[in-house]
Amino acid sequence: MASEMAQPGFWARVQRASVERLHIRLESLLVLVALSAAMALLSPFFLSLSNFLNILLATSTIGVLAIAATFVIGSGGLDLSLGSVMGLAGVAGAFVAVNLGWPSVFAVIACILAGGIAGYINGQLVTRAFVPAFIVTLGMLGLARGLALVISQGRAIYGLPAAIVYIGQGRPFGIPMPVIILVLTAIVAHCVLAYTRFGRHTLALGDSEGAARAAGIRVEHHRRIIYTLSGALAGLAGLLFTARVNAGDPTAGINYELTAITAAIIGGTNLFGGRASILGTMIGALIMGVLQNGLTLLAVQSYYQQMAIGAVLILAVFIDQYQVRKESRV
Amino acid sequence: MTAFVLKINRFTMALGIALAMSAVGVAKAEDGEYGVLMKTLANPFWGAMGQGVEDGAKEAGVKYFQQAAESDQAAEPQLNLCNTMLERKPVAMITAAINSTNLLPCLKAAQDAGVKVVDLDGNLDPAVLDKEGIKITFRIGSDNVAAGGQGAEYLVSKLGKDAKGPVLVIEGLSGNITGAKRAKGFADKLKELAPGLEIVASLPGDWDRGKAASIATDTLTAHPDLVAIFCANDGMALGAVESVYAAGKGEQVTIIGVDGNSDAVKSIKEGRLNASVAQLPYLVGKQAVENVKKALAGEKVEESIAVPTLVLTKDVLDAGKEPMLQYVK
Repeated sequence: MASEMAQPGFWARVQRASVERLHIRLESLLVLVALSAAMALLSPFFLSLSNFLNILLATSTIGVLAIAATFVIGSGGLDLSLGSVMGLAGVAGAFVAVNLGWPSVFAVIACILAGGIAGYINGQLVTRAFVPAFIVTLGMLGLARGLALVISQGRAIYGLPAAIVYIGQGRPFGIPMPVIILVLTAIVAHCVLAYTRFGRHTLALGDSEGAARAAGIRVEHHRRIIYTLSGALAGLAGLLFTARVNAGDPTAGINYELTAITAAIIGGTNLFGGRASILGTMIGALIMGVLQNGLTLLAVQSYYQQMAIGAVLILAVFIDQYQVRKESRV
Repeated sequence: MTAFVLKINRFTMALGIALAMSAVGVAKAEDGEYGVLMKTLANPFWGAMGQGVEDGAKEAGVKYFQQAAESDQAAEPQLNLCNTMLERKPVAMITAAINSTNLLPCLKAAQDAGVKVVDLDGNLDPAVLDKEGIKITFRIGSDNVAAGGQGAEYLVSKLGKDAKGPVLVIEGLSGNITGAKRAKGFADKLKELAPGLEIVASLPGDWDRGKAASIATDTLTAHPDLVAIFCANDGMALGAVESVYAAGKGEQVTIIGVDGNSDAVKSIKEGRLNASVAQLPYLVGKQAVENVKKALAGEKVEESIAVPTLVLTKDVLDAGKEPMLQYVK
């Protein structure tokens, strides 16, 4: 035992290296690999390029929302309005393109702007009105959903211009556009979180707001930017959703915020802030995507699928907490 | 040492959970499978339809696999399900789309792969399908306009052609095509058969029992001599029944719902709800499978199949002679 304390084992070294370089928890990657292996064994349809692309495509909107959740939760905040803001953004974009007949580029701007404004309002309320983020974003959940229903008069706005539909359904080089957008977004987000001052400050804020303030970080200002970013990403997700189903659907994204938060947590983001990784979040989202895809291929009813995702969430946090406690003991 | 064992344990546990979850319903893909994609099974209407599909498949001797979205608003998750189901390479996809657009990319892919596409319950808009270049094999469901009309026919048969008085219509969710068709079918037929019965209000009840109850109460205040209420589904009709009885006007007001669900049947038997136009979703599911088999065998199948609806009243239920009653679930 004593020798082990003095000299960390191989496993610990591998893990430390991976955590430092890629900012991920090895366990979540293992779960993803094990899950994929199990699915490949059980279903002859699982291992194929088209199915692999399907999984990524199905993960794209949730993946973008999960990136937003990673930033917010990593900074010690919470955004429960992600799904509703996504629905609002999609409706705003469809309204601009279809009802107003403006060029597609304005629809794209409308989506991201609508999301960003909702996020900015969240940020203002959290930092200036001293209302807890849980309450502010819960309120925004209702506000944004209601506004989406008002703008669309309760029905989906169908028939977007071809350029927008291409964002959701196009396949340059055989790769679905939403997948390309997700991957690009994830790479940028990873670099921002892992290698920039903005990213370091975000995690510092989540670790200890007081210490961050003492270190000279403009805490409130930074929080507002993070919530605005979160909203804008929800707007991007709304654009992807709308383009995929070719309709601005006011009921889009119901409960998506919970799935997005789950992906971040499975990926190793600490629910109370201070630790977050975009790569981890992507792995978390893929774990859920693989689980859902594999169970569907096996013709397992959707009720069991929801149970499976719940079980994986609890398992992931259990592993995470176990790890954290072990580290603090050493 | 112990730490390493723990690692292994966690790994095996994760794998174990994954395997256990997958083992719940392992089914090997077979040649000639039908994929069935429902809205949600958390609704007796779709539950009955799923039952019909199951029985129909058993009788026809075909293999099928079924999936359903988690709620009837999960448009994108349903599209994801559809895409994944295609990976199993079914010969037909029987789909009940959540709305008229969400499944289009998947249906297009299905068509390109030579999979027969069936519209269950008529949720796909023919104009939109044409625009997207998707040709479905057939659509099957009940005629909602006719169902509303049957409600009006029942009312007139009960009150007589020369009846006079105010009538309330409670619609479904605003903008929902099914509810709109039922309400319109009722209004048009009523005007034609008994012009003396005047619709004084036609309000959206959002498929919500409580909301329908409030609308009924408010309308009774404004029109104490109300003679009838037509609701676009049974849940709302049952809500309206409670308000009318609470106001002590159970005998005066005739209440009609649509669906023929089990709660409605119970209420009709108890003599509270007057009638429900039953949609027979069980029959829709069963006939869908039968017709897919025909189409796959190269037989000609009608492009649009209307499954009949049946007016359930206390007399019909008590007599129990109507042959279609066996499909009321």
